[in-house]
Amino acid sequence: MRVFRALLDKELRALYQAPVAWIVIGVFLGLMGYSFTLTLFNNRYATLVHIFFQAAGLLLLIVPIITMRLLAEERRAGTLELLLTAPVKESHVVLAKYLAGMSVVLLMIGLTASYAVVLGLYGTPEWGAIYSGYLGLALLASTLVSLGLAASALTSNQVIAAIVAIGISFFLWMVDTLAAMLPDGLERVFISLSLLARFTPFATGAMYTSDAGFFVSTTLLALFIAMRALARR
Amino acid sequence: MADSAAAPVVRVEHLSKHYGARRAVSDVSFDMRPGEVMGLLGPNGSGKSTILRILTGYLQPSSGSAQVCGMDVVSRSLEARRCVGYVPEDVPLYAQMRVHEFLTFMGRLRGLEGAGCARAIEEVFERLSFGQFRGQLIGKLSRGYRQRVAIAQALLGRPKLLVLDEPTNGLDPRQIIEVRELIRALAGDMAILVTSHILVEIERVAHRVAILLDGRLLGVHALADARMGLEELFLSLTEGEPR
Repeated sequence: MRVFRALLDKELRALYQAPVAWIVIGVFLGLMGYSFTLTLFNNRYATLVHIFFQAAGLLLLIVPIITMRLLAEERRAGTLELLLTAPVKESHVVLAKYLAGMSVVLLMIGLTASYAVVLGLYGTPEWGAIYSGYLGLALLASTLVSLGLAASALTSNQVIAAIVAIGISFFLWMVDTLAAMLPDGLERVFISLSLLARFTPFATGAMYTSDAGFFVSTTLLALFIAMRALARR
Repeated sequence: MADSAAAPVVRVEHLSKHYGARRAVSDVSFDMRPGEVMGLLGPNGSGKSTILRILTGYLQPSSGSAQVCGMDVVSRSLEARRCVGYVPEDVPLYAQMRVHEFLTFMGRLRGLEGAGCARAIEEVFERLSFGQFRGQLIGKLSRGYRQRVAIAQALLGRPKLLVLDEPTNGLDPRQIIEVRELIRALAGDMAILVTSHILVEIERVAHRVAILLDGRLLGVHALADARMGLEELFLSLTEGEPR
Protein backbone atom coordinates (compact mmCIF):
# COMPACT_ATOMS: atom_id res chain seq x y z
CA MET A 1 0.00 0.00 0.00
CA ARG A 2 2.89 2.38 0.79
CA VAL A 3 4.33 1.83 -2.65
CA PHE A 4 0.94 2.55 -4.20
CA ARG A 5 0.70 5.80 -2.19
CA ALA A 6 4.14 6.81 -3.47
CA LEU A 7 3.04 6.16 -7.06
CA LEU A 8 -0.23 8.03 -6.60
CA ASP A 9 1.49 11.03 -4.98
CA LYS A 10 3.92 11.22 -7.88
CA GLU A 11 1.15 11.02 -10.48
CA LEU A 12 -0.98 13.66 -8.76
CA ARG A 13 1.98 16.00 -8.47
CA ALA A 14 2.96 15.47 -12.11
CA LEU A 15 -0.58 16.13 -13.35
CA TYR A 16 -1.33 19.18 -11.21
CA GLN A 17 2.11 20.76 -11.68
CA ALA A 18 1.78 20.65 -15.46
CA PRO A 19 -0.18 23.47 -17.11
CA VAL A 20 -2.15 21.08 -19.35
CA ALA A 21 -4.57 20.00 -16.61
CA TRP A 22 -5.34 23.59 -15.60
CA ILE A 23 -5.78 24.75 -19.20
CA VAL A 24 -8.12 21.86 -19.90
CA ILE A 25 -10.14 22.57 -16.72
CA GLY A 26 -10.31 26.27 -17.64
CA VAL A 27 -11.48 25.62 -21.20
CA PHE A 28 -14.05 23.06 -20.01
CA LEU A 29 -15.50 25.38 -17.36
CA GLY A 30 -15.50 28.35 -19.75
CA LEU A 31 -17.51 26.47 -22.39
CA MET A 32 -19.86 24.92 -19.84
CA GLY A 33 -20.47 28.24 -18.07
CA TYR A 34 -21.25 29.96 -21.36
CA SER A 35 -23.67 27.22 -22.36
CA PHE A 36 -25.35 27.10 -18.92
CA THR A 37 -25.92 30.87 -18.80
CA LEU A 38 -27.22 31.07 -22.35
CA THR A 39 -29.64 28.15 -21.96
CA LEU A 40 -30.89 29.34 -18.59
CA PHE A 41 -31.70 32.82 -19.91
CA ASN A 42 -33.36 31.46 -23.04
CA ASN A 43 -35.38 28.55 -21.56
CA ARG A 44 -35.79 29.53 -17.89
CA TYR A 45 -36.13 25.84 -16.85
CA ALA A 46 -34.41 24.60 -13.69
CA THR A 47 -32.77 21.62 -15.37
CA LEU A 48 -29.23 20.51 -16.18
CA VAL A 49 -30.04 17.85 -18.78
CA HIS A 50 -28.49 19.83 -21.66
CA ILE A 51 -25.45 20.56 -19.48
CA PHE A 52 -24.93 16.85 -18.84
CA PHE A 53 -25.01 16.06 -22.57
CA GLN A 54 -22.69 18.93 -23.38
CA ALA A 55 -20.29 17.90 -20.61
CA ALA A 56 -20.32 14.32 -21.94
CA GLY A 57 -19.52 15.56 -25.46
CA LEU A 58 -16.65 17.69 -24.19
CA LEU A 59 -15.30 14.82 -22.09
CA LEU A 60 -14.93 12.72 -25.25
CA LEU A 61 -12.45 15.32 -26.52
CA ILE A 62 -10.86 16.48 -23.29
CA VAL A 63 -10.19 13.26 -21.38
CA PRO A 64 -7.75 11.89 -24.01
CA ILE A 65 -5.75 15.13 -23.68
CA ILE A 66 -5.40 14.46 -19.95
CA THR A 67 -4.59 10.76 -20.33
CA MET A 68 -2.36 10.86 -23.42
CA ARG A 69 0.89 11.42 -21.55
CA LEU A 70 0.25 9.13 -18.57
CA LEU A 71 2.11 6.09 -19.91
CA ALA A 72 3.22 7.18 -23.39
CA GLU A 73 5.50 9.84 -21.93
CA GLU A 74 7.05 7.36 -19.46
CA ARG A 75 7.74 5.02 -22.35
CA ARG A 76 9.22 7.78 -24.54
CA ALA A 77 11.45 9.17 -21.80
CA GLY A 78 12.59 5.70 -20.72
CA THR A 79 11.39 6.23 -17.14
CA LEU A 80 9.02 3.29 -17.55
CA GLU A 81 12.10 1.05 -17.40
CA LEU A 82 13.16 2.70 -14.15
CA LEU A 83 9.66 2.32 -12.73
CA LEU A 84 9.10 -1.30 -13.75
CA THR A 85 12.52 -2.50 -12.58
CA ALA A 86 11.76 -1.14 -9.10
CA PRO A 87 9.81 -3.50 -6.83
CA VAL A 88 6.47 -2.24 -8.12
CA LYS A 89 3.45 -4.13 -9.50
CA GLU A 90 2.24 -3.15 -12.96
CA SER A 91 -1.30 -3.04 -11.60
CA HIS A 92 -0.27 -0.39 -9.05
CA VAL A 93 1.35 1.74 -11.75
CA VAL A 94 -1.81 1.60 -13.88
CA LEU A 95 -4.21 2.18 -10.96
CA ALA A 96 -2.22 5.16 -9.67
CA LYS A 97 -2.33 6.75 -13.11
CA TYR A 98 -6.04 5.97 -13.49
CA LEU A 99 -6.89 7.56 -10.12
CA ALA A 100 -4.77 10.63 -10.84
CA GLY A 101 -6.49 11.07 -14.23
CA MET A 102 -9.90 10.55 -12.62
CA SER A 103 -9.15 13.16 -9.97
CA VAL A 104 -8.66 15.85 -12.64
CA VAL A 105 -11.84 14.89 -14.49
CA LEU A 106 -13.91 14.65 -11.30
CA LEU A 107 -12.60 18.05 -10.17
CA MET A 108 -13.65 19.45 -13.53
CA ILE A 109 -17.12 17.89 -13.29
CA GLY A 110 -17.43 18.74 -9.60
CA LEU A 111 -16.86 22.44 -10.26
CA THR A 112 -19.94 22.49 -12.51
CA ALA A 113 -22.02 21.63 -9.42
CA SER A 114 -22.11 25.40 -8.88
CA TYR A 115 -24.75 25.44 -11.67
CA ALA A 116 -26.96 23.15 -9.61
CA VAL A 117 -26.51 25.49 -6.63
CA VAL A 118 -27.63 28.43 -8.79
CA LEU A 119 -30.70 26.47 -9.92
CA GLY A 120 -31.46 25.58 -6.29
CA LEU A 121 -31.23 29.23 -5.22
CA TYR A 122 -33.47 30.64 -7.94
CA GLY A 123 -35.73 27.72 -8.86
CA THR A 124 -36.99 24.29 -7.87
CA PRO A 125 -34.90 21.74 -9.79
CA GLU A 126 -35.56 18.01 -9.62
CA TRP A 127 -32.63 16.95 -7.46
CA GLY A 128 -32.90 13.25 -8.21
CA ALA A 129 -32.27 13.91 -11.90
CA ILE A 130 -29.30 16.12 -11.06
CA TYR A 131 -27.69 13.48 -8.82
CA SER A 132 -28.26 10.83 -11.47
CA GLY A 133 -26.76 13.08 -14.16
CA TYR A 134 -23.61 13.64 -12.12
CA LEU A 135 -23.31 9.92 -11.37
CA GLY A 136 -23.63 9.24 -15.11
CA LEU A 137 -20.91 11.77 -15.89
CA ALA A 138 -18.59 10.21 -13.30
CA LEU A 139 -19.18 6.72 -14.72
CA LEU A 140 -18.67 7.94 -18.29
CA ALA A 141 -15.49 9.72 -17.19
CA SER A 142 -14.22 6.49 -15.63
CA THR A 143 -14.67 4.62 -18.91
CA LEU A 144 -13.04 7.41 -20.92
CA VAL A 145 -10.04 7.76 -18.55
CA SER A 146 -9.38 4.02 -18.63
CA LEU A 147 -9.72 3.93 -22.44
CA GLY A 148 -7.28 6.83 -22.70
CA LEU A 149 -4.89 5.09 -20.33
CA ALA A 150 -5.04 1.89 -22.39
CA ALA A 151 -4.26 3.88 -25.56
CA SER A 152 -1.39 5.59 -23.76
CA ALA A 153 -0.01 2.20 -22.67
CA LEU A 154 0.20 0.97 -26.25
CA THR A 155 2.44 3.68 -27.70
CA SER A 156 5.30 6.01 -26.85
CA ASN A 157 3.74 8.83 -28.87
CA GLN A 158 1.37 11.08 -26.92
CA VAL A 159 -0.33 12.42 -30.04
CA ILE A 160 -1.07 8.93 -31.33
CA ALA A 161 -2.36 7.97 -27.87
CA ALA A 162 -4.73 10.96 -27.88
CA ILE A 163 -5.98 10.37 -31.44
CA VAL A 164 -6.59 6.66 -30.81
CA ALA A 165 -8.42 7.40 -27.55
CA ILE A 166 -10.59 10.11 -29.19
CA GLY A 167 -11.35 7.76 -32.10
CA ILE A 168 -12.39 4.86 -29.85
CA SER A 169 -14.36 7.12 -27.52
CA PHE A 170 -16.34 8.74 -30.37
CA PHE A 171 -16.94 5.38 -32.05
CA LEU A 172 -18.31 3.92 -28.80
CA TRP A 173 -20.36 7.07 -28.21
CA MET A 174 -22.25 6.81 -31.47
CA VAL A 175 -21.95 3.11 -32.33
CA ASP A 176 -25.73 2.74 -31.93
CA THR A 177 -26.20 4.79 -35.11
CA LEU A 178 -24.98 1.73 -37.02
CA ALA A 179 -27.67 -0.42 -35.44
CA ALA A 180 -30.38 0.54 -37.94
CA MET A 181 -28.32 -0.98 -40.76
CA LEU A 182 -27.74 -4.29 -39.00
CA PRO A 183 -29.79 -7.47 -38.53
CA ASP A 184 -31.78 -7.84 -35.30
CA GLY A 185 -29.26 -9.74 -33.17
CA LEU A 186 -26.37 -7.45 -34.00
CA GLU A 187 -28.52 -4.37 -33.66
CA ARG A 188 -29.04 -5.09 -29.97
CA VAL A 189 -25.32 -5.68 -29.42
CA PHE A 190 -24.36 -2.37 -31.02
CA ILE A 191 -26.96 -0.45 -29.02
CA SER A 192 -25.75 -2.08 -25.81
CA LEU A 193 -22.18 -0.99 -26.57
CA SER A 194 -23.14 2.65 -27.13
CA LEU A 195 -21.87 5.11 -24.53
CA LEU A 196 -24.63 7.52 -25.58
CA ALA A 197 -27.36 4.91 -25.11
CA ARG A 198 -25.93 4.02 -21.68
CA PHE A 199 -25.48 7.62 -20.60
CA THR A 200 -28.87 9.00 -21.72
CA PRO A 201 -30.93 7.40 -18.89
CA PHE A 202 -28.55 8.88 -16.27
CA ALA A 203 -28.72 12.35 -17.86
CA THR A 204 -32.52 12.28 -17.91
CA GLY A 205 -32.90 11.08 -14.34
CA ALA A 206 -33.30 7.32 -14.77
CA MET A 207 -30.65 5.07 -13.26
CA TYR A 208 -30.25 1.41 -14.25
CA THR A 209 -27.76 -0.95 -12.67
CA SER A 210 -27.17 -2.52 -16.10
CA ASP A 211 -25.90 0.85 -17.42
CA ALA A 212 -23.72 1.39 -14.34
CA GLY A 213 -22.43 -2.17 -14.75
CA PHE A 214 -21.54 -1.44 -18.38
CA PHE A 215 -19.43 1.58 -17.42
CA VAL A 216 -17.72 -0.35 -14.60
CA SER A 217 -17.06 -3.33 -16.91
CA THR A 218 -15.58 -1.22 -19.70
CA THR A 219 -13.39 0.57 -17.14
CA LEU A 220 -12.07 -2.74 -15.79
CA LEU A 221 -11.52 -4.12 -19.30
CA ALA A 222 -9.56 -1.04 -20.42
CA LEU A 223 -7.46 -1.07 -17.22
CA PHE A 224 -6.74 -4.75 -17.80
CA ILE A 225 -5.60 -3.97 -21.37
CA ALA A 226 -3.31 -1.23 -20.01
CA MET A 227 -1.81 -3.66 -17.48
CA ARG A 228 -1.26 -6.33 -20.15
CA ALA A 229 0.39 -3.73 -22.38
CA LEU A 230 2.85 -2.94 -19.58
CA ALA A 231 3.44 -6.60 -18.76
CA ARG A 232 4.11 -7.51 -22.41
CA ARG A 233 7.78 -6.67 -22.70
CA MET B 1 36.62 -9.30 -3.15
CA ALA B 2 34.17 -12.03 -4.09
CA ASP B 3 33.31 -14.71 -1.54
CA SER B 4 33.67 -17.91 -3.57
CA ALA B 5 32.03 -20.10 -0.89
CA ALA B 6 28.87 -18.00 -0.62
CA ALA B 7 25.67 -18.68 -2.55
CA PRO B 8 25.61 -16.91 -5.90
CA VAL B 9 23.86 -13.55 -6.11
CA VAL B 10 23.17 -14.13 -9.79
CA ARG B 11 22.62 -17.46 -11.49
CA VAL B 12 21.87 -17.47 -15.20
CA GLU B 13 21.24 -20.81 -16.90
CA HIS B 14 20.77 -21.38 -20.64
CA LEU B 15 19.18 -17.97 -21.00
CA SER B 16 17.79 -17.04 -24.41
CA LYS B 17 15.76 -14.12 -25.69
CA HIS B 18 14.24 -13.87 -29.14
CA TYR B 19 12.42 -10.96 -30.74
CA GLY B 20 10.44 -12.77 -33.40
CA ALA B 21 13.05 -14.42 -35.63
CA ARG B 22 15.87 -12.27 -34.27
CA ARG B 23 18.02 -13.86 -31.57
CA ALA B 24 19.19 -11.27 -29.01
CA VAL B 25 20.59 -13.70 -26.40
CA SER B 26 21.33 -17.35 -27.01
CA ASP B 27 21.98 -20.02 -24.37
CA VAL B 28 23.93 -17.83 -21.93
CA SER B 29 24.96 -19.22 -18.52
CA PHE B 30 27.04 -17.64 -15.76
CA ASP B 31 26.88 -16.81 -12.09
CA MET B 32 28.13 -14.12 -9.74
CA ARG B 33 29.25 -14.26 -6.11
CA PRO B 34 28.61 -11.62 -3.43
CA GLY B 35 31.05 -8.72 -3.63
CA GLU B 36 32.16 -9.59 -7.13
CA VAL B 37 32.43 -7.09 -9.97
CA MET B 38 31.64 -8.74 -13.26
CA GLY B 39 31.95 -7.08 -16.63
CA LEU B 40 29.78 -7.94 -19.61
CA LEU B 41 31.87 -7.04 -22.61
CA GLY B 42 30.79 -7.06 -26.22
CA PRO B 43 30.15 -4.88 -29.21
CA ASN B 44 26.89 -2.94 -29.60
CA GLY B 45 24.01 -5.34 -30.20
CA SER B 46 25.76 -8.30 -28.59
CA GLY B 47 22.96 -8.80 -26.03
CA LYS B 48 24.48 -7.13 -22.96
CA SER B 49 21.58 -4.82 -22.23
CA THR B 50 19.06 -7.58 -22.91
CA ILE B 51 20.67 -9.77 -20.24
CA LEU B 52 20.58 -6.87 -17.77
CA ARG B 53 16.94 -6.17 -18.57
CA ILE B 54 16.06 -9.80 -17.94
CA LEU B 55 17.93 -9.79 -14.61
CA THR B 56 16.15 -6.60 -13.53
CA GLY B 57 12.73 -8.01 -14.46
CA TYR B 58 12.08 -5.59 -17.30
CA LEU B 59 12.15 -8.28 -19.99
CA GLN B 60 11.07 -11.89 -19.81
CA PRO B 61 13.37 -14.58 -21.19
CA SER B 62 12.21 -16.71 -24.11
CA SER B 63 13.80 -19.76 -22.48
CA GLY B 64 16.24 -20.63 -19.74
CA SER B 65 16.23 -19.13 -16.27
CA ALA B 66 17.78 -16.33 -14.27
CA GLN B 67 17.87 -15.99 -10.50
CA VAL B 68 18.82 -13.03 -8.35
CA CYS B 69 19.48 -13.69 -4.65
CA GLY B 70 18.03 -17.18 -5.16
CA MET B 71 14.76 -15.86 -6.59
CA ASP B 72 13.62 -16.51 -10.11
CA VAL B 73 13.24 -13.22 -11.99
CA VAL B 74 10.01 -14.39 -13.64
CA SER B 75 8.09 -16.33 -10.99
CA ARG B 76 9.31 -14.22 -8.05
CA SER B 77 9.94 -11.03 -9.95
CA LEU B 78 8.91 -8.56 -7.24
CA GLU B 79 11.13 -10.17 -4.58
CA ALA B 80 14.04 -10.46 -7.01
CA ARG B 81 13.70 -6.76 -7.92
CA ARG B 82 13.98 -5.82 -4.24
CA CYS B 83 17.57 -7.14 -4.34
CA VAL B 84 18.58 -5.13 -7.40
CA GLY B 85 19.63 -1.54 -7.99
CA TYR B 86 19.63 -0.68 -11.68
CA VAL B 87 21.05 2.18 -13.73
CA PRO B 88 19.80 1.92 -17.33
CA GLU B 89 22.04 3.00 -20.20
CA ASP B 90 20.49 6.35 -21.14
CA VAL B 91 19.96 7.40 -17.51
CA PRO B 92 16.21 7.98 -17.80
CA LEU B 93 15.07 10.25 -14.95
CA TYR B 94 12.08 12.48 -14.23
CA ALA B 95 13.42 15.80 -15.50
CA GLN B 96 10.68 17.85 -13.82
CA MET B 97 11.50 16.49 -10.35
CA ARG B 98 14.06 17.88 -7.94
CA VAL B 99 16.90 15.56 -6.91
CA HIS B 100 15.69 15.07 -3.33
CA GLU B 101 12.08 14.60 -4.43
CA PHE B 102 13.13 11.97 -6.96
CA LEU B 103 15.27 10.06 -4.48
CA THR B 104 12.45 10.16 -1.92
CA PHE B 105 10.07 8.76 -4.54
CA MET B 106 12.47 5.97 -5.53
CA GLY B 107 13.18 5.23 -1.86
CA ARG B 108 9.45 4.88 -1.16
CA LEU B 109 9.16 2.46 -4.09
CA ARG B 110 11.84 0.40 -2.35
CA GLY B 111 9.86 0.38 0.87
CA LEU B 112 11.79 3.14 2.66
CA GLU B 113 9.66 5.58 4.66
CA GLY B 114 10.11 8.66 6.81
CA ALA B 115 13.33 8.87 8.82
CA GLY B 116 14.71 5.67 7.28
CA CYS B 117 14.27 7.07 3.77
CA ALA B 118 15.82 10.42 4.75
CA ARG B 119 18.80 8.62 6.29
CA ALA B 120 19.29 6.45 3.19
CA ILE B 121 19.21 9.55 0.97
CA GLU B 122 21.76 11.36 3.13
CA GLU B 123 23.98 8.27 2.92
CA VAL B 124 23.96 8.28 -0.88
CA PHE B 125 24.47 12.05 -1.00
CA GLU B 126 27.56 11.59 1.14
CA ARG B 127 28.81 8.56 -0.74
CA LEU B 128 28.45 10.23 -4.14
CA SER B 129 29.35 13.75 -2.94
CA PHE B 130 26.54 15.69 -4.54
CA GLY B 131 24.35 16.77 -1.62
CA GLN B 132 24.65 20.39 -2.75
CA PHE B 133 22.39 19.55 -5.72
CA ARG B 134 19.51 18.15 -3.65
CA GLY B 135 17.21 21.07 -4.51
CA GLN B 136 18.08 21.20 -8.23
CA LEU B 137 15.72 20.22 -11.00
CA ILE B 138 17.04 16.99 -12.54
CA GLY B 139 16.44 18.35 -16.04
CA LYS B 140 18.94 21.15 -15.35
CA LEU B 141 21.78 18.89 -14.18
CA SER B 142 24.78 18.00 -16.35
CA ARG B 143 25.07 14.46 -17.72
CA GLY B 144 27.64 13.60 -15.04
CA TYR B 145 25.39 14.65 -12.17
CA ARG B 146 22.37 12.96 -13.72
CA GLN B 147 24.47 9.81 -13.77
CA ARG B 148 25.15 10.29 -10.04
CA VAL B 149 21.44 10.72 -9.36
CA ALA B 150 20.74 7.51 -11.28
CA ILE B 151 23.40 5.62 -9.32
CA ALA B 152 22.11 7.14 -6.07
CA GLN B 153 18.58 5.85 -6.66
CA ALA B 154 20.00 2.42 -7.44
CA LEU B 155 21.89 2.36 -4.12
CA LEU B 156 18.83 3.21 -2.00
CA GLY B 157 17.83 0.27 0.16
CA ARG B 158 21.32 -1.27 -0.11
CA PRO B 159 20.71 -3.75 -2.92
CA LYS B 160 22.69 -6.99 -3.04
CA LEU B 161 23.21 -6.54 -6.77
CA LEU B 162 24.01 -3.30 -8.56
CA VAL B 163 23.48 -3.38 -12.32
CA LEU B 164 25.13 -0.64 -14.39
CA ASP B 165 24.47 -0.47 -18.12
CA GLU B 166 27.29 1.40 -19.88
CA PRO B 167 27.83 3.67 -16.85
CA THR B 168 30.57 5.78 -18.43
CA ASN B 169 28.73 6.60 -21.67
CA GLY B 170 28.72 10.31 -22.40
CA LEU B 171 30.88 11.25 -19.40
CA ASP B 172 34.00 13.39 -19.51
CA PRO B 173 37.36 11.84 -18.48
CA ARG B 174 37.17 13.08 -14.89
CA GLN B 175 33.65 11.73 -14.47
CA ILE B 176 34.71 8.39 -15.97
CA ILE B 177 37.47 8.12 -13.37
CA GLU B 178 34.98 8.98 -10.61
CA VAL B 179 32.56 6.27 -11.76
CA ARG B 180 35.40 3.73 -11.84
CA GLU B 181 36.44 4.71 -8.32
CA LEU B 182 32.87 4.46 -7.16
CA ILE B 183 32.51 0.94 -8.58
CA ARG B 184 35.74 -0.11 -6.84
CA ALA B 185 34.54 1.44 -3.57
CA LEU B 186 31.15 -0.29 -3.74
CA ALA B 187 32.62 -3.69 -4.63
CA GLY B 188 32.62 -5.90 -1.58
CA ASP B 189 29.42 -4.36 -0.22
CA MET B 190 27.46 -5.73 -3.15
CA ALA B 191 27.88 -7.64 -6.39
CA ILE B 192 28.17 -5.34 -9.38
CA LEU B 193 27.33 -6.28 -12.94
CA VAL B 194 28.60 -3.68 -15.37
CA THR B 195 28.40 -3.61 -19.16
CA SER B 196 30.64 -1.84 -21.60
CA HIS B 197 31.76 -2.10 -25.18
CA ILE B 198 35.06 -0.50 -24.15
CA LEU B 199 37.76 -2.98 -23.12
CA VAL B 200 39.62 -0.70 -20.77
CA GLU B 201 36.48 0.18 -18.81
CA ILE B 202 35.94 -3.46 -17.91
CA GLU B 203 39.64 -4.15 -17.35
CA ARG B 204 39.88 -1.35 -14.81
CA VAL B 205 36.99 -2.37 -12.57
CA ALA B 206 35.99 -6.02 -13.03
CA HIS B 207 37.19 -9.16 -11.27
CA ARG B 208 35.76 -11.34 -14.03
CA VAL B 209 34.63 -10.66 -17.56
CA ALA B 210 32.00 -12.36 -19.69
CA ILE B 211 32.55 -11.80 -23.39
CA LEU B 212 29.48 -11.71 -25.63
CA LEU B 213 29.14 -11.69 -29.38
CA ASP B 214 25.86 -11.82 -31.30
CA GLY B 215 24.02 -12.88 -28.18
CA ARG B 216 26.35 -15.81 -27.48
CA LEU B 217 28.63 -16.07 -24.47
CA LEU B 218 32.15 -16.77 -25.75
CA GLY B 219 33.66 -17.22 -22.31
CA VAL B 220 33.95 -16.04 -18.71
CA HIS B 221 37.44 -15.21 -17.47
CA ALA B 222 38.96 -14.04 -14.21
CA LEU B 223 41.05 -11.00 -15.09
CA ALA B 224 43.61 -11.54 -12.31
CA ASP B 225 44.36 -15.07 -13.54
CA ALA B 226 44.40 -14.32 -17.24
CA ARG B 227 47.80 -14.83 -18.78
CA MET B 228 47.03 -12.30 -21.46
CA GLY B 229 45.50 -8.83 -21.35
CA LEU B 230 41.80 -8.35 -22.00
CA GLU B 231 42.50 -7.06 -25.50
CA GLU B 232 44.34 -10.21 -26.51
CA LEU B 233 41.75 -12.35 -24.76
CA PHE B 234 38.92 -10.63 -26.64
CA LEU B 235 40.74 -10.97 -29.97
CA SER B 236 41.54 -14.63 -29.38
CA LEU B 237 37.92 -15.44 -28.50
CA THR B 238 36.41 -13.51 -31.39
CA GLU B 239 38.93 -14.68 -33.97
CA GLY B 240 37.17 -16.19 -36.95
CA GLU B 241 33.78 -14.84 -35.86
CA PRO B 242 31.82 -12.93 -38.50
CA ARG B 243 32.05 -9.13 -38.01
